[in-house]
Amino acid sequence: MSPTPDARVDALLRDLGSRLRRGSHEAARQTSGGRRHPTGLADVDALLGGGFPAGRLCEIAGSLSSGRTSLALALLAQATRAGEWTAFVDVADAFDPSSAHAAGVALPHVLWVRPQDSRQAARACARLLELRGFALIALDLPPPRQLALPPAAWQRLARAAAASGTSLIVLSEQRLTGTSSSLVLETRCARAQWSGMPALLEGLEIEAQVARMREGPARRIAAVRLCAASRAA
Amino acid sequence: MRAQPELSDRPFALSSGAGERAEIVSVSPEAIRRGVRRGQSVAEARSLCAALDVQVVSPALEQAARGALLDAALSCSPRAELEPRRAGPYAGEAAVSADASGVASLFHGEAGFATALAQRAAAVGLPTRVAVASSRGVARVAARRLEADGETCLLAAGAESAFLASLPVDVLDPDDALAERLTRFGIHTLRDLLRLPLDSLAARLGPAALSLAAQARGECDLPPPAAPAETRFVESIDLEYPAERLEPLLFALQGLLSRLLARLEVRHLACDELTLALDFAGGGRDVRRIGVSAPTRELRVLVRLAAQSLESQPPRAAVCGAGLETRGAPLRRDQLDLFRPPGPAPGALAPALAELASLCGASRVGAPALADHHHPDALAIRPFAPATCDATPATDAGAFRLALRRLRPPALAEVQLRSGHPSRIRSAVCSGRVLRCAGPWRTTGGWWSREGRFAFDHFDAQIEDGTVARLRYDHVARTWQVDGVYD
Repeated sequence: MSPTPDARVDALLRDLGSRLRRGSHEAARQTSGGRRHPTGLADVDALLGGGFPAGRLCEIAGSLSSGRTSLALALLAQATRAGEWTAFVDVADAFDPSSAHAAGVALPHVLWVRPQDSRQAARACARLLELRGFALIALDLPPPRQLALPPAAWQRLARAAAASGTSLIVLSEQRLTGTSSSLVLETRCARAQWSGMPALLEGLEIEAQVARMREGPARRIAAVRLCAASRAA
Repeated sequence: MRAQPELSDRPFALSSGAGERAEIVSVSPEAIRRGVRRGQSVAEARSLCAALDVQVVSPALEQAARGALLDAALSCSPRAELEPRRAGPYAGEAAVSADASGVASLFHGEAGFATALAQRAAAVGLPTRVAVASSRGVARVAARRLEADGETCLLAAGAESAFLASLPVDVLDPDDALAERLTRFGIHTLRDLLRLPLDSLAARLGPAALSLAAQARGECDLPPPAAPAETRFVESIDLEYPAERLEPLLFALQGLLSRLLARLEVRHLACDELTLALDFAGGGRDVRRIGVSAPTRELRVLVRLAAQSLESQPPRAAVCGAGLETRGAPLRRDQLDLFRPPGPAPGALAPALAELASLCGASRVGAPALADHHHPDALAIRPFAPATCDATPATDAGAFRLALRRLRPPALAEVQLRSGHPSRIRSAVCSGRVLRCAGPWRTTGGWWSREGRFAFDHFDAQIEDGTVARLRYDHVARTWQVDGVYD
């Protein structure tokens, strides 16, 4: 007597259930090739399962003074120190070479593109992704009221990133990429640290929380506190 | 023909000037078939061919064509020279001499060399006739005897005299007085000329006749062509009507760029920097430099750069002529390192950089650098070439550094002070009570120049809206500004 359709489905699920799990690490390594770009900050890298995934659209969202730019520069520093080619598409025109140099970024390995509007930024990102060979592209966006990128643009950029193996990291004040991104990290400033007499700014304590992770452990991981060292003298 | 290739199959002629009495100086093959000849007047030519299209000679286009011919020759031989312009029946001729010694092995013999030269000249829009001989003069004569464009001719060494013997004296282009005297003496062919004793030839007809006889024997008193002293590519055009709007001007520039790139390609070079010269209808000239971030042969990239330059600085009057000049540069071929992570394909990076520069602006694409200047807003960008740079940064990245987000331009702010320190701020970036503040740190410079002097007092401030910003008071402009946010 042939098994019923319900029995066949039950048997299939029994066979596959042990190997399929929603958002498993193994599945993530298979789809992204296992390659991750670390920030160099142990707590953040542990939060992200090793770093930002290669070939994915990711986002770091946070208001001003939330530490998103410092995180991005730490990411660039790790990549450029390893000899990788990176790009910084600076729509906000906020990139500071002195800060990047102090963060350890090898400036000759950064292609700094300063588009004048969102249309130019999208085309520049698409062209760089099409070129291939860049490990990281950071897209720094101005406040949302100055930006006009449709949701379809994020989908196209995500597909282009996957095809090229380049990580496209979007820096924004509010979440913009929606479901197109594989990873969204939200940052906020816990407190500013002042010390000495007279008091000098020592740094910022920031919190980073994973708001979205398509490929990763099923449980959300709690926020991590980081202390930023002061700016170089 | 280079500028208007659609005329190549139509009856077309160039005249020395405007009007029906002007002389025809150059004729297309189709016009020749209909009986039009050099030296005829425009009226006479039109009577023979009603559909004849006559245009006045353009010195700009002629100069560019001669340059393109030289480029085609230099692509085959390192030593090539343009022959000087001639008068008389060869006034419309453009000729170039190229030294074929030692290059035949690259082209499988002299026949291959001649064929390659004809093909490369055709690639830059010039139909040519190529002859290879032991001297410049004989080669020129042999090329003139060829009947159709694209034909080639090889004269073996020692065969010059036999080749020249039966030719009329006119092929050597003697001056009018000497030609008339030779005709009166019944000297019509070069064989007739060589039969005359040299002593009496010099005594009766002068030293010019001796030189003519030497050429008739295949001898040449001209030195071999030399390598050019500099490499310049110039394309220019005189517009039929003054261009008052950008669209027709850009259309003309696109044609110039297309021809320029064809010349660069035949020389295996790319365009790295352009000089654009615009001549205005009422007189005057505008010369501007168009920077290209990386050598490129992409036409659309260069057109976009030219359009950006014209849109940002429109011509001040109607344009009646335009010219483009470049020195050419090899396409960048970066060799990747076996021990470093791979980057973009070497041949693909330069066109991509040029495209990004045309999209965002040439000064807005590159590698950031630390500005060697005390002004806090100083900016430095260098060409992006990581393959040639060491990846190790100067500072240790062990500590997590707090970054500053710059505001370009700095945002104006209204600041209330208490005891000389900001206590409240209102700006587009941050507003509210100042919770903590450190400073001031004074930065000054350029005091020797009224325009370049600057003096700032910087403060680090924590605002009640959560922003930690860098404020500054501009002593020159007497304004408060937010020039960065710690993030």
